[in-house]
Amino acid sequence: MKKKCKTIAVIQSLATDLLFWIYIFGCMYYLMHKWSGFTAKLFFVGIAALLATIIFQLIRESIGVKLFLSSGKPKRSVLKSVWGYLTLLSLVVTFVVGMNIVQVDFYKFFTKFQNAGGIASGIFDPSITEYSLSATSIDELEKESLPPDVLKTLKGIQNRKYSTKKVFLEDLQKRLGESTLQEYKSNILQSAYKSNQLLNIALSALAETIFLALLATVFAIPIAFVLSFFAARNLMPRTWLGNIVYILIRTVATIFRSIEAIVWAIIFSVWVGIGPFAGMLALMVHSVASLTKLYSEQIENIDSGPVEAIKATGASTLQTWIYAVIPQIISPYLAFTIYRWDINVRMATIVGFVGGGGIGLLILQQQQLLRWHNVGLLIWLIAFVVWVMDMTSAKVREKLGGM
Amino acid sequence: MKNIIKLTDLHKTYEGGTHALKGVNLEVKEGEFLILLGLSGSGKSTLLRCMNRLIEPTSGEIEIDNENVITAKGKLLRKIRRHIGMIFQQFNLIKNLSALTNVLSGKLGYVSLWHAITFSMHKNDVALAMSNLKRVGLDQFAKNTARNLSGGQQQRVAIARALMQNPRVIFADEPVASLDPATADSVMRYLGELNTNDNITILCSLHFLSLARKYGTRVIALKDGNIVFDGTPKEIDEKKFKDIYGEDAEEVEIR
Repeated sequence: MKKKCKTIAVIQSLATDLLFWIYIFGCMYYLMHKWSGFTAKLFFVGIAALLATIIFQLIRESIGVKLFLSSGKPKRSVLKSVWGYLTLLSLVVTFVVGMNIVQVDFYKFFTKFQNAGGIASGIFDPSITEYSLSATSIDELEKESLPPDVLKTLKGIQNRKYSTKKVFLEDLQKRLGESTLQEYKSNILQSAYKSNQLLNIALSALAETIFLALLATVFAIPIAFVLSFFAARNLMPRTWLGNIVYILIRTVATIFRSIEAIVWAIIFSVWVGIGPFAGMLALMVHSVASLTKLYSEQIENIDSGPVEAIKATGASTLQTWIYAVIPQIISPYLAFTIYRWDINVRMATIVGFVGGGGIGLLILQQQQLLRWHNVGLLIWLIAFVVWVMDMTSAKVREKLGGM
Repeated sequence: MKNIIKLTDLHKTYEGGTHALKGVNLEVKEGEFLILLGLSGSGKSTLLRCMNRLIEPTSGEIEIDNENVITAKGKLLRKIRRHIGMIFQQFNLIKNLSALTNVLSGKLGYVSLWHAITFSMHKNDVALAMSNLKRVGLDQFAKNTARNLSGGQQQRVAIARALMQNPRVIFADEPVASLDPATADSVMRYLGELNTNDNITILCSLHFLSLARKYGTRVIALKDGNIVFDGTPKEIDEKKFKDIYGEDAEEVEIR
């Protein structure tokens, strides 16, 4: 028996060392290849690893030996022993290889900020009112007897839309020169056509997002509610049928939950077409899976005393659930559900990017048109709604005494 | 007096291998106030829960009110259970429902599923629940949430709930173990009153000999899943007490 244990320990030790050295030499090969174009047959990496394993096993100073074959107290402190240095080596190699694979580039990070300038200026100057010079505006300006050359320039940009006042004035300055602009600025601004069209579109897209999140939650509640009873260990009888139902629901819920809502949105946008309905279905599937898990865990945490008491009165299983289980879970259920709606609103904006409708889709469109001031407005709207949802849901959950 | 409960060679072995009941034979006559004594883990709770099959017995025979409990299934089992009231150490009320709704839940064995789903009960049942609450002196607390009642009040609500079942027998599993001595005595007094006035047979597990002597008409003692004593409360002297509770035990007086 003892000898068998010893053999297994030796094998474990050898295997650990071999994997360790394959990893070290593999990483080194990757770095050499990347930096100097060095190539060799991978076979040699294996040979080198094998040799290193044998050498370090022979001097009995490797990680494998330390883990499986050493007995008693360590002879030397960690930093003075060979296995300590080997561990350090593996950490350094892992870090260096990691930096290479992720393509970490601090130089870019600190010097290329101007590339994001468009988005930054958009966020700091979101497009709430759009400016343009319509035919009526030009007529008005003509009546105010502006010089003909100025009028001509202005006619040149007739009906062109500017996201914000600042953008409008910057363009005018470029076309008219600073002094001319200053002279007629008030006239031009007064007669310019101002529209809140984008704001209106954005608000209706936002409403779409909030409602699709709400509907996804509402449709998910009854399904998850029913499923959760069958996914609760303490309610399912320990018969073969009970076990199968329990395991089946739990497994499917786990799988569906581990597939992100964004992936579901891609599936459903192909299935029912791009739009809020696809987004709602995606969030609903994900919500059902999550809520089933949360709900059933809540059921598993209930006090079993009342269940026993109601059962003892001669009540049927369903009556017992209604009287002894549901009253105990109703307020944590509400808390979880509101939290879920909160999560769904946040996810709905992301889901829009892949065809799930709502404000996410609008952001994608505006971003592709490089209208950063419009994107800025949308980002502010999302931030505001998420902030409000977050606060209210936290307050309500606090009142319900859950989570 | 005829027998209302008859147990023959009742065994219970738990999944982990604990042999909790080792062949219990017991006959209980109608109208008895039977006290169960014994250390924690001696099998008292298991015995009470086996009798209405909240726990499935491993083998043996159970007859309650001329019904074979062991073979009963589904509807018949529920019919047997609804004539057996049960009182628990932790009261086991539904904490966020009102006292009245808790009492009404005692009627669940009699009503249809629809009444349960809608939480609506017949007018007569509500009136009966109120009169049962009045009987335990809690009619003015009917609308209070169970959570906001004291321990003694909660146990009295539990008694009213058992009364709703129109029980022939009440099993009480250490009903006063979580209560202070004065409240404990008042709860026992209500049980005693049900026993004498309504002729309800009561099986009650206890730890206090003083209460056993005051209310019990008969005492049985369990030790390691066997009945080691069966007699009247007066028969328990110091030697018998040490037999039941072990050599180091001292009787604690509760008045």
